[in-house]
Amino acid sequence: MNDARQYGELGTQLLLESRRSTQTDTFLKYNDTLVRSLIREQRDLEKAIDAIPFEGGSPPPALLIIQTAINRNKRCLLAYHAHRVDRLRDLYWSVGGALPHILSNQELRGRMSPHEVDYLRQYNSSIMEFRSEFTHELDVTASITIPPKDIHALVRVVRDCGVIQTELGSIDFKKGQRFMVRRADIEHLIVQGYLEEV
Amino acid sequence: MLQHYHHNHELGVWDEEYEQRPPTPRRTDSPDDINPFLLERTPETPLEQLTRHWLNERHAPDILPAQEELLSGMLDHLRRQSEAVHLLRGDPSSSDEEHIRIMLVQTEIERVKFIVRSYVRTRLFKIEKYARFVTSNADVQRRLTAAERDHASRHAKITDQHFYLSVLQSLPDAQAHLDDTPVFYPSMVTEPDKSRPVFVHALTRCSQITLPDGATLDMEKGHISLTLYSVVEQLVARGEVELI
Repeated sequence: MNDARQYGELGTQLLLESRRSTQTDTFLKYNDTLVRSLIREQRDLEKAIDAIPFEGGSPPPALLIIQTAINRNKRCLLAYHAHRVDRLRDLYWSVGGALPHILSNQELRGRMSPHEVDYLRQYNSSIMEFRSEFTHELDVTASITIPPKDIHALVRVVRDCGVIQTELGSIDFKKGQRFMVRRADIEHLIVQGYLEEV
Repeated sequence: MLQHYHHNHELGVWDEEYEQRPPTPRRTDSPDDINPFLLERTPETPLEQLTRHWLNERHAPDILPAQEELLSGMLDHLRRQSEAVHLLRGDPSSSDEEHIRIMLVQTEIERVKFIVRSYVRTRLFKIEKYARFVTSNADVQRRLTAAERDHASRHAKITDQHFYLSVLQSLPDAQAHLDDTPVFYPSMVTEPDKSRPVFVHALTRCSQITLPDGATLDMEKGHISLTLYSVVEQLVARGEVELI
């Protein structure tokens, strides 16, 4: 390392990103460069530890300091990744578990690391397996934000979403049209931004 | 059940038919009903039970015992109601009054489903949050349904795997583990924080509740108090208090 840096500085930067993401309620781009430099720092620190002579007795102070830096950096790395998958799961539930809807959003997808895309896929299949334990009567992935007051909803089509099976038979939702439909049939389309309540 | 609906054109609004007794609002209980031997509590309807368990689950830091029997009874009932509604709606001889009742029942079905969903999802949220703790703790596992246990193990697995692929595999061997226990660091396994404060509402008289400092607290029926979850944990489990 030729650039002078305090131990733990990169870790702090990483945590700052997580905090910024929480404060602005946004899913930020995966900071691959920072993660990589932190991992490199960890390897260097491990080498530095190996280079310290240590034979019994109380450990030399240098070793304790470096070990503390290693522990801290590692927790920062894990915390950063844990915070991101928490946000991904929030995102997943906010669109009612519609994975294709998230993955087809190029802007969003560009902010995920490849491992995060894999994670989301695995998470989705785990949820689908859990969901299949319930009868089709109850879709556990449906919205739980506002308790239903009315069984029907007047909706306006914002984006074409093709033919959807409803209680009234199949309806071809075309942009600009309005329908009075059973809320439970189309709630997921509102969540995904195809329909808008009037 | 279906035949009965079909021939008599009768459709009870939710609790009426399920319980065969008029629902009594629980909250009007007088606070001076102190003798538990003379005054038994009116039994709760399944919906009231579900609502209580739902609120408890939402407020408790820990994962509470799964209410499998109650839930499956509820789901069966929902299904029967939906089938009855479907039949009656298609029947041309249903009267206008009947149609209004059908609409009420449908709305009620959607509202009950909302509670069931919210209950299931609240548990799911906690199970995911404490997934690694759940997989290593037999006591919590007993409080989960089989499906929830499976989800917990799957979740712990994919999360560990994600950490491994994104971080741990690139670190030197000595650092590549998820079970570090350095001093002054919080544990790597997140556990429910039972010392979190909760609001409790006494459903019966609860005497001699031991507080952490050794003092005792008596709660009359209907009283509301703010205390640590660990203090009232057993009372919640026995249904003597509810979290609000």
